[in-house]
Amino acid sequence: MRPIVEFKGVTRAYGPRLALDDVDLALEPGELTFLVGPSGAGKTTLLKLINREIRPSSGEVWVDGIAAHTLKASRVAELRRRVGVVFQDYKLLPRRTAKENVAFALQVGDLRISDDEAMDRALDALEAVGLGDRGDSFPHQLSGGQQQRVAIARAMVLQPPVLIADEPTGNLDLETAWQITDLLEDIAAFGIAVLVATHNVEIVTRLQRRVLTLVQGRLVRDQPAGRTGRMAWLASS
Amino acid sequence: MAGVVIKGHFPRRRIFRVVAVNILRYLFLGAARNWIRNIGSMAPALSSMTVLLLMSGMVGLIGFALHNLEQVEAGQASLLHVYMRDDAVAADVISLMNRLQHDGRVANVTYVSKTDAFARAQRMPGLPQLAGASDSNPFPASLDVQVKNINDVAAINTLVKYNVATDPVNPTSYDQGAYQRIQAVLFGVAVAGFAFLALLGFVAITVTINSVRAAIHARRDEVTIMQLVGAPRWMVRGPFIVEGAITGGLAGAVAGLATFGLTMGGIASGSGSFTQFAPGVTMTVAAIAAAIVFTTGLSLGSGSSLVSLRRHLES
Repeated sequence: MRPIVEFKGVTRAYGPRLALDDVDLALEPGELTFLVGPSGAGKTTLLKLINREIRPSSGEVWVDGIAAHTLKASRVAELRRRVGVVFQDYKLLPRRTAKENVAFALQVGDLRISDDEAMDRALDALEAVGLGDRGDSFPHQLSGGQQQRVAIARAMVLQPPVLIADEPTGNLDLETAWQITDLLEDIAAFGIAVLVATHNVEIVTRLQRRVLTLVQGRLVRDQPAGRTGRMAWLASS
Repeated sequence: MAGVVIKGHFPRRRIFRVVAVNILRYLFLGAARNWIRNIGSMAPALSSMTVLLLMSGMVGLIGFALHNLEQVEAGQASLLHVYMRDDAVAADVISLMNRLQHDGRVANVTYVSKTDAFARAQRMPGLPQLAGASDSNPFPASLDVQVKNINDVAAINTLVKYNVATDPVNPTSYDQGAYQRIQAVLFGVAVAGFAFLALLGFVAITVTINSVRAAIHARRDEVTIMQLVGAPRWMVRGPFIVEGAITGGLAGAVAGLATFGLTMGGIASGSGSFTQFAPGVTMTVAAIAAAIVFTTGLSLGSGSSLVSLRRHLES
């Protein structure tokens, strides 16, 4: 299977400091992967490279066949429509309802979508994340978990082949964090490559999915699904 | 039969309509709504740009009037009166006239007799009294020499002033440096005007750039989300450029109307004296100046926004 995201010898430096150092990795469609490591290890930098918020200092980044490392600024939008993004702080527009937040992503991404169509599709996306009845609620009327679901619906409404999430459960209690993780698993089950940067050790160890470990910018461990947890050292020799 | 997906095409006209509605809503209505919402931060830009454009309009009109004045002065300065001595022989006058008419630098030569000179003097302000004070006609006959290029007037003056037919005491009307003095004054006025406008322009553009930057920061989340969900660059930047254009257009409209109104007020208050002070400035010229001021406002507003976006909104 052709990888949907591929890093080839990627290095990213901020001045003299290396945020990522010669990273090689490949993400397959339908794969839920966790990206772990201490603060400052380079997790967010790696996610930003996929979304072409930044360019690598050297190496190649391929996303769904697009060379992100050489992509011109005028074509970045084309790549971003193929990468859904979820943040720890949800980044919802406070003056828009849940439905409008999701529809907004659709309409600014594709001008050919009418209001009615955008609202219908936004409602479908909200129903898929279990919030079909909260479409008219404003973000401040929703709990943290619900806001994150809206953010996931917004990221998925364009049906991108890749979803990246930067600490999506960071602001949530454990029970809600599990609900969000279940949702991300469901999304991956539909053939979407999901990459989640997280500090939540419990979820990572219990879920037994692929885990990438970054330390000081280097990819020090790539544990395949089912080989994580306490006995993971067996796979890392 | 199951599992067959039929892909239907929307009518092209409907797609065009949807696209047009979305562009109108996001680009223009959105920009107008945000402009009204951010009017507090846009107010300094609006006022400084209005002042700049009003001053530009007025300086432009003054410049146009001075240019016309310079043309008039240049035309007068290139007309050389060669005064004939009272006892000049007709043959000498004709000879000088022929010589000048065949000179390539001369456009035309007209003989003005003493009688014609007297009649002309009586039409000039202040001179009828002087003409009437004397028993005899004090005005000499002359050859009015229209020189093609003002720079050749000195050479023609040298050519004619020692001629036998020319009055030895007061040979010509040539005043060395008169035109140069006018040019120097006009040049000084133009430099001062441009320096003033450049300074004002710098202030207005800086204020507008900062206002747009404030608008970008006020909508940072919206802009970030638009960029992250793959909104095209023109769609992210467009509303800010439209906001800048609204500011510039409004400032231009106010300044344009003020320019037109002030000029029309000047014309209405005394068309004779106004024509003397500002030759060539008519209602049409004022309307054109107002239109230029408006267009400049639009360009300045959207241009400043573009500069601000390039600085603060690079993806």
